[in-house]
Amino acid sequence: MSKRKPYQREMKNDWWLKNIFYSRYMIREGSSILITLYSLILAWGVFRLSQGAEAFNAWLSALQHPVSIIFHLLVLLIALYHTLTWFSLAPKAVDLYIKGKPLDGRLIVAGHYITFVIATVFCLVIIML
Amino acid sequence: MQIIKTDVAIIGAGGSGLRAAIEIAENYPQLDVALISKVYPMRSHTVAAEGGAAGVVQDSDSLDQHFDDTVSGGDWLCEQDVVQYFVENAAKQLTQLEHWGCPWSRKADGNINVRAFGGMKKERTWFAADKSGFHILHTLFQTSLKHPKITRFDEHFCLDLVVENNKIQGVVILDIAEGEAKLIQAKSVIMATGGAGRVYTYNTNGGIVTGDGMSLAYRHGVALRDMEFIQYHPTGLPGSGILMTEGCRGEGGVLINKNGYRYLQDYGLGPETPLGQPKNKHMELGPRDKISQCFWQEQQKGNVITGDRGDVVYLDLRHLGETKINERLPFIRELAKAYVGVDPVHEPIPVRPTVHYTMGGITTNAKTETSLTGLYAIGECASVGLHGANRLGSNSLSELAVFGQLAGQQAAEYAQQAEHHTIKPLQEKAQKIIARTEALLHSNGNEKMADIRQEMGDCMEEGVGIYRTQTSMQKTIDKLAELKARYKHININDKSSVFNTEFLYAIELGYLLDTAEAIAHSAIARQESRGSHQRIDEFNTRNDVHFLKHSLAYYQADKAPIIKYSDVTITKSQPAERVYGAASETKEK
Amino acid sequence: MTDKTIEIEILRYRPEQDEKPFPQQFEVPYHPDMSILEALQYIKDHLDSTVSFRWSCRMAICGSCGLMVNNIPKLGCKAFLRDYYPQKVKLEALANFPIERDLIVVMDDFIKKLEEIKPYIIPESDDKCLSEGTYKQTPEQMEKYAKFSMCINCGLCYSACPQYGLDKNFTGPAALALLARYNRDSRDAGSAERMKIVNQEQGVWSCTFVGYCSVVCPKGVDPAAAIQLLKVESSKDYLIGMFKPD
Ligand SMILES: Cc1cc2nc3c(=O)[nH]c(=O)nc-3n(C[C@H](O)[C@H](O)[C@H](O)COP(=O)(O)OP(=O)(O)OC[C@H]3O[C@@H](n4cnc5c(N)ncnc54)[C@H](O)[C@@H]3O)c2cc1C
Ligand code: SF4
Ligand code: FES
Repeated sequence: MSKRKPYQREMKNDWWLKNIFYSRYMIREGSSILITLYSLILAWGVFRLSQGAEAFNAWLSALQHPVSIIFHLLVLLIALYHTLTWFSLAPKAVDLYIKGKPLDGRLIVAGHYITFVIATVFCLVIIML
Repeated sequence: MQIIKTDVAIIGAGGSGLRAAIEIAENYPQLDVALISKVYPMRSHTVAAEGGAAGVVQDSDSLDQHFDDTVSGGDWLCEQDVVQYFVENAAKQLTQLEHWGCPWSRKADGNINVRAFGGMKKERTWFAADKSGFHILHTLFQTSLKHPKITRFDEHFCLDLVVENNKIQGVVILDIAEGEAKLIQAKSVIMATGGAGRVYTYNTNGGIVTGDGMSLAYRHGVALRDMEFIQYHPTGLPGSGILMTEGCRGEGGVLINKNGYRYLQDYGLGPETPLGQPKNKHMELGPRDKISQCFWQEQQKGNVITGDRGDVVYLDLRHLGETKINERLPFIRELAKAYVGVDPVHEPIPVRPTVHYTMGGITTNAKTETSLTGLYAIGECASVGLHGANRLGSNSLSELAVFGQLAGQQAAEYAQQAEHHTIKPLQEKAQKIIARTEALLHSNGNEKMADIRQEMGDCMEEGVGIYRTQTSMQKTIDKLAELKARYKHININDKSSVFNTEFLYAIELGYLLDTAEAIAHSAIARQESRGSHQRIDEFNTRNDVHFLKHSLAYYQADKAPIIKYSDVTITKSQPAERVYGAASETKEK
Repeated sequence: MTDKTIEIEILRYRPEQDEKPFPQQFEVPYHPDMSILEALQYIKDHLDSTVSFRWSCRMAICGSCGLMVNNIPKLGCKAFLRDYYPQKVKLEALANFPIERDLIVVMDDFIKKLEEIKPYIIPESDDKCLSEGTYKQTPEQMEKYAKFSMCINCGLCYSACPQYGLDKNFTGPAALALLARYNRDSRDAGSAERMKIVNQEQGVWSCTFVGYCSVVCPKGVDPAAAIQLLKVESSKDYLIGMFKPD
C-alpha cells in the first residue's frame, strides 16, 4: 500500500487579490465588461439613427445626462488602462528581426503609441470637420 | 517487492547514460532499456558544464594534435589506444548531437564555431555559449523521448547491484517517492553515475555528485583506477566553489594577483601574452593542474587577496567588453553577479581553485567493459583511460558522447546473446539488500551526519589537495578510518518512507567515504609527482621507472584497500617532459 | 561572524503524519550572501533533519529547487536572504502542484506535458548522414529559437499561471515554449504535427495572456511570448483551413 498522499491545495476565489500582478490582470480583463457596455450604447445609437432623426436626438440628449457623462469618463479611463496594458504586452506577439537581432521591445511599444496618437488625432479631425 | 525485467539497465541519466540509452533504442529496437536516475535526467550534473566539448574540425588542426595534447596533458598516463579511438570519433559524435538539435554556437556562415581551451594547441572546443553541458543534456533528454523502448525510472535511487554466478544480473533501486524497493532484472548494466567531487568541501559539483556508482562497483570487487588524480579547477568562486568556465580564459580573460600582475609567467607558462590575444598552451591557456598549483605558490608568497570568503586571485574579463561577454559568456556574468556581487564587465571576478573532476574511476577496457561480466561503465564514474593524470578541459563532454555510444552498443550486443537468470536467487539477494538498507534506516546512534560529511571534506582538502605530502596524506587516511567507524553509529532521525532525503544523504555519505578512502590510499602509494598528483616531499618529480603505471584500488570491507598497479598502453607517444609556454615552442623546433 | 538571525517559516507537510500542511518556524543565522537554499541546508543539518526539499547544482541551472518565497515562485539557490532581511521569509512548495512532502511537489504532470509536445528534431526526410557533417544554421536562424531553448524545467511558470491552476489540462508555459523552440528551428520539419497540439482548446487557446510566467522565469525564456507567437501561427492555420476544401 502506497504511503504517498499528495496534498492538493485549493485555489481560493480571491486568488487574484493576493498578488498585485494578478489584480492588475483582473482589472484589465474586467475592463472589457465596461468597454462592451460602451459599444452596446454606441450600437444602440446606430439603431436609433435607423429609426429616424427624432429617435436619434432622444438618444443624444440621454447621453448628456450627468450619469451618462460620468459613465463615459470612467469608460475612457478604463479603456486607456486597457490600451496601455496591451501595448506593454505587444512586443511578445511580434516576430520581427533586424539584422538577426529581435526588434527591441521598446521600439515596438513606441510604435504602438505613435499609431495610437495619429489615429486619435485623425478621428478628432474628422469629427471636428 | 516489484520485479521488472529488462534487457539493459542504465544507472544514471546524465550525458553519458542518455547517450547510451538512445544508442540502444535506435539500433537495437528489440531490446528494452531501463534508464534509472536518482533525479530527473535534466537535473544531472552534466547540466552545469559550461565551456564546451573537444573535437577536431578546423583544417589547420589534426587528430594527431588532439592526440598529443591529450596524452601530454595526461602526463603520459593515458591509454593511447583509447585516446586514438576518442579523437577519431569525437567530432562525429558532436555532429550527431547537432543533428539531434544541440544549438552549438555558429560562425556567421552557419558552420560550427570553436573556441580555445586550456592545454589544447588548436581551437577545437565546440560550445553552446557558456551553457554547453546544459544544451547537450537537454538535447539528449528530449531526443530520448522519441523512443518508447526507453523506460525511465526518474527519482529512483540505486541501492546495490545484484551479482550471481560472477555476472551482473540486475540492480535494486528505491522508488524515492514511494519509499519502496524494486528489483530490476537485466542482462547487462551500464554504470553512468558521474563523479565524486563532493568528497571535498569546496567543489564545482552538484549535491548529487557523490560517487555512488564508483562505490557500488568497488564494493563488488571491481578495481577503481587512478583515483589519486583529482582535478582542481583554477577558477571557482570563493565560498560556493561555483565554476567560472575555462572558456573565460579561452576568450581572453587573464589571471592577476593582488598587484595586478599576471603571475603565471613566473611559473613556466610565459612569456606574457598581450591582453585580448590568448595564445594556445601559453599563460592562462596552460593546463588546469599547473594553473591551480600556481595559485598555491602565489598564496605562499603572500600575493593573493584575502577576502571574507578566503584567499583569491582575480579573473579579469573587463577588456573583453560588454558585447563579447554577453554573447560568449552570459551565464558567467549572471553567476558572478548573483553569487559574488561582481559584474565582470566592470570588475574582476575573485576566484580560487576548487575540486572539479575525478580523472579516475571504475576500471574498464577500451570497450567500456569492466571486470564484472555484463557490467559496463562510462562518463565521469568510469576510467576508460582517456584522461591519465590530468584531464584536459572539454575532453569529458566529448567522452560522454563517444563512449556513451560505444557502451550502448557493447551492452546491447552482450544482452542480445545473454539469457535472464532464474529469478529465485536474485530475489533472495535483493531481499538481503533491502534488509540491510532498512537496518541503516533504523540507525539510532549519536553521530551527526553533517559533522562526518564536513570533516571528511575538510580532511580531503588538507591531505590530498593541490599539493600532498606523506604526513598530510597519512593524516587524512587515519581521519577517514575514524570517520568510517563513526559512520556506523550515525543517527537518522527521519524514519518515514515518502521522499526521505535524510536517509538518502546517509546512503550517499557511505558511498562518499568509500570513494574518499580509495582516493587517499591510491595517493599515498604513488611515490612520485605526476599531473594533478603533486607531492612536495621527497617524491616531487615524475618517476617513469616505477610509476608509469595505473593504480588499482581494491575494496577490503573494514580494512584499508589493497593498491595494485597495471601497465599503461603506449602506442606512439613516448613519455617526455611536459612543457607549456615558450618551452613548448622550443621543443617543437 | 555576526549574531544576526533571520526567521524562516516553512509550510511543512509529512504525508505519513499530517492531514494537511502546517507552518513551522526556524531561526537561522543571517549572512547577506546566504541563499534560501543554503538556509534550508542549515536547517536540515542543524535544526530539523526531516525538512525535505530538492536541490543539486546550487547555481541556477539544474532546475531542482523551485519554491514559493513569500508567495512568489523562485529558485531557492538564486534567492538571497539579503533581499528579505530583517523581515521573516515564508517558504512553501511551488503553487499549483500537489505537495508530495514539505517543499517537494509532484512533478509528474509537468514532465508528462514536456514529453507530449514532441520535443525533438523531426527531420525533413530521412536522417541526414553523419558523414555529411553538421547542418548549416546561421546565428540569425539560431536567434529565432535561442531564447526558448534556455528552459531549465524548474516549473516556476506553472506556479505563476492561474490558468494552469484552474485547469490542469492546459499544456502550460514551459511545454509550449519548448514546442515553439522546435517549431522555430531551421533543422526541424515537424511543425505540422506539433500544431495539432497547439490548436487544441488546452493548447495555446487556454492562455489568457496573464503574462506572469515570463516575469517569474529565472532564465528569461519568456514563455508568454512563445505562446503569443504560437497563437498567431494557430490563427493562420485556422484561416488557411477555412479556405482549403477537404
Ligand atoms: C561545473 C562543471 C563544468 C564542467 N564543464 C565542462 C566542460 O566545459 N567541458 C567538459 O568536457 N567537461 C566539463 N565538465 C565535466 C563534465 O561535465 C562531467 O564530467 C560530465 O558531465 C559527467 O557526466 P556523466 O554522464 O558521467 O554524469 P552526470 O551528468 O553527473 O550524471 C550522473 C547521473 O547518475 C545518476 N545517479 C548517480 N548516482 C545514482 C544512484 N545512486 N542511483 C541512481 N542514479 C544515480 C544521477 O541522477 C545522474 O543522472 C564540467 C563539470 C562541472 C562540474
Ligand atoms: S520557462 Fe522559465 S519558469 Fe518555466 S520551467 Fe522553463 S525556466 Fe522555469
Ligand atoms: S539547485 Fe539547481 S537550480 Fe537551484
